[in-house]
Amino acid sequence: MNNKRILFILVFFVSTLLLSGCWSKKELTDLAIVAALGIDKNEQGRYVGTMQIINPGNVTSGMQGGGGSQGPPISIVTGSGDSIVELSRSTSRKLSRRLYYAHTNLIVISEEIAKEESISTILDPLERDAQFRSTAIIVIAQGSKASDIVKVLTAIDKIPSNKVIKTLKITEKIWGENIAVSIQDAIKMIVSPGKELAVSGFRVNGDVDKGITMENTQQTEPASLLFAGSLGIFKNGKLIQWVDGETARGSVFLLDKLNASAIGVEWEGKDEAISYELIRQKTKVSAKMEKGKPRVSIEVQAEGNIGETKVPIDLNNPHLLLKLEKEIEKEIKKEITMAIKIAQKSKSDIFGFGEALHRTNPKEWGKMASKWNDVYFPEVKTDIVVDAFIRRTGLRNNPHQVNQ
Amino acid sequence: MSLFSLSKKIKKLKQLKKQAQQNQQPSKAIPSSLLDQINSIKEKTGNSIDVVIRKLQLGDSKGPDTAVVFVEGISDSKAINDFLIESIMNNHPSPNSRPIYDILFEKVVALGDVKEIKDWDNLYLSLMSGESIILVDGEKRALSASTRGGEQRSIEEPGSQVTVRGPRDGFTESIRTNTALIRRRIQNPDLWLENMKIGSVTKTDVSIMYIKGIAKDEIVEEVRNRLKRIEIDSILESGYIEQLIEDQAFTTFPTLYHTERPDMVAGNLLEGRVAIIVNGTPFVLIAPAVFIQFFQSVEDYYGRADIATALRFLRILIFFISIIAPAAYIAVTTFHQEMIPTQLLVAIAAQREAVPFPALVEALIMEVAFEILREAGIRMPRAVGSAISIVGALVIGQAAVQAGIVSPAMVIIVAITAIANFATPAFAVAISARLIRFGFMFAAATFGFYGIILGVIILAVHLCSLRSFGVPYLTPIAPLIPANLGDTIVRLPMWAQKKRPRLFSNKETRVGDNQKPQPPEGRGMVNDTLEKGDQDEQ
Repeated sequence: MNNKRILFILVFFVSTLLLSGCWSKKELTDLAIVAALGIDKNEQGRYVGTMQIINPGNVTSGMQGGGGSQGPPISIVTGSGDSIVELSRSTSRKLSRRLYYAHTNLIVISEEIAKEESISTILDPLERDAQFRSTAIIVIAQGSKASDIVKVLTAIDKIPSNKVIKTLKITEKIWGENIAVSIQDAIKMIVSPGKELAVSGFRVNGDVDKGITMENTQQTEPASLLFAGSLGIFKNGKLIQWVDGETARGSVFLLDKLNASAIGVEWEGKDEAISYELIRQKTKVSAKMEKGKPRVSIEVQAEGNIGETKVPIDLNNPHLLLKLEKEIEKEIKKEITMAIKIAQKSKSDIFGFGEALHRTNPKEWGKMASKWNDVYFPEVKTDIVVDAFIRRTGLRNNPHQVNQ
Repeated sequence: MSLFSLSKKIKKLKQLKKQAQQNQQPSKAIPSSLLDQINSIKEKTGNSIDVVIRKLQLGDSKGPDTAVVFVEGISDSKAINDFLIESIMNNHPSPNSRPIYDILFEKVVALGDVKEIKDWDNLYLSLMSGESIILVDGEKRALSASTRGGEQRSIEEPGSQVTVRGPRDGFTESIRTNTALIRRRIQNPDLWLENMKIGSVTKTDVSIMYIKGIAKDEIVEEVRNRLKRIEIDSILESGYIEQLIEDQAFTTFPTLYHTERPDMVAGNLLEGRVAIIVNGTPFVLIAPAVFIQFFQSVEDYYGRADIATALRFLRILIFFISIIAPAAYIAVTTFHQEMIPTQLLVAIAAQREAVPFPALVEALIMEVAFEILREAGIRMPRAVGSAISIVGALVIGQAAVQAGIVSPAMVIIVAITAIANFATPAFAVAISARLIRFGFMFAAATFGFYGIILGVIILAVHLCSLRSFGVPYLTPIAPLIPANLGDTIVRLPMWAQKKRPRLFSNKETRVGDNQKPQPPEGRGMVNDTLEKGDQDEQ
């Protein structure tokens, strides 16, 4: 009897092992690891997807049996279709492996698509798919096709998608004119009624045809280079405007995403005379109703060092430092005001003023929500209070000129 | 009905057999004539040349009236010559005095342990264990003098459980030496030793040792019963006993602990366990054994508690690595590629690019190659050992990768697994992990991480189901005994480990109150010395 039981258990286990096969098993050598996906539209109005597939043997150099780094680290496959899923599956006719999207960390959307149709139609299939990571970063191909951004080879980070993402993340931290937006961030912003989407653009300069050859990575100055572009402002999921420079930085300020930057300050009539190195800042946006109209107050606290002086200024004098702080505050306020003006002109609340109002005055917000972007937001009055502090003046006190 | 009657028949048969056995061996009496006695011994031992029969004359008769019989090699020839033969030869009793037998017993034999033997069975038992038999003409009995001895391995450092700190002596093949090593550590009359002979042919000495009052009587009784139950022709190593008395026969996990270290046995006896010492092997069995014990080393108790705790955590980690590492590699590379950081995935993919096999086959090739290498390494003479390691390093490390049979990542995984396996303190558990690992590899190749988790659950359930002499294998963790948790994965300092393991010991408290060491109150001692120093300088 006992033997029968053991036999039964044995048969049971062996059959589960044998009959199930290797369900959903996928060997590494059967996978095409997609690093980046670029989405364009062709003349017929069909989607064209450009996949940046990692060529593992060429990425890791010095590997035995890996073949060295002779060939390009990536390989491009394109597919077209009426939907994203269709274009993805259609590539199987050109590819010996299954596309594997779990490591896709960059989505490039062409400017054309971003302007003409809502970005959420692109995000829907990406969020739905189990393989896609919602932490993948989205950028808009600014002034070029999305496929160009995906195709161009880069020198230091061998996988171009890594270069794009790392560039965005680092520039967001130390310069602050761009932001890295992931799929989930974008979806949150689109879904939220009181906030609009802002996504960075990415550009490619030079000759793309040269950029896709290995020679591009073997030059000290690449023939074709990928770099972060402007900040794209969206409304109802559509790209409506690009903002640059100080305006872009003002926007990042308002989004409270700025970590560090360098701000040029005017001193005694001389433009950009003193450079203020911002090291940390905190921006608070709050809204209230005043006489039936929404009013937004913005509080910025900035801390930083003096990074550079071009004029003789006595930095040992605390009164002068206080005066300088006032100048810095003025400059920051100017940038923020510019950003708000542009956003109001485009009637797109990328800063989430509506969300802030929703929190403090949910009832009034309910009435305004549907017409917020077009009617109320452009008219919002803002009070901007900036508190800037100079913490240090670097390794020396006064500029040379003062001591002479 | 038929089944019932069958079982009845079997019972009857068994009873008959028992009776037959009892009838078969009536202890034959010893004949009174010395010549008959000697002939009988010669016949029984087949005239083996190491059985020495020395005829002597003690009384006033013309011919020899006494004989000393011993087996050369297993008896102490110096003791026999000095205290037996010489003593008999030099003794000239006056005529018509008391019988020779009594004189021998009381005056002549200058040895400590002398017993009277009345039947052949006991005579041969004594003779074959190294004692000397003294036969006397006209007596239906004989004397046996304890002259056990002969060449033995001296006490050396144990080869299998080496420590940096701790005593250096290890058990030998002699049971008496081994019991002495333990007795020297526990100088207490409550340390009890029970002896029995097991093995119908080998008649091996097997002793159980425990501390009366600390060990639970039920467990001692259980050990005794299980040993008595054994019917086998031979016991050549304690492993024989282990297989015959363990609770669960079908498991890869050991339910008895074996050790070569007397200090470890002493420590376990003090926790209420029972030691089973087998003559002819330096490995002493300890029962009951619990799972966590196999991750503890004697050195844990000799070193600092915090370090011992950290090391025990490391050992648990090591155990899991040695079970799961290759399985996790297979699962990750064939099912869950999204779990690996992109850079690493690319690196692994690049290596796998040249390998023609699926990950499971690759892993199996490497694991089997390694197991072959290890097996070869253990049995090889030392001179060939270095050649094996060179071949192994070249074949497994380098050539297999260059030939494109396996990927370098796989080599790393196999190497980590192997080293983790070597690092497990108890060999018995390490070898069990070695086997289980393959099961996990198949589970991972079939179901991925789901399979691994399933395997871990099955393993946990199996461990929970195990018992060692009635004690649950996972105590004191499952069932949870908070008072005994101080010596599991965590080892508390000696002053905080107050209780003995509750499930198998009496007299639970072992450390007094307020044993935590403290500096004297105030700084008087230090300050006085400092002031004195100042005065001296002045």
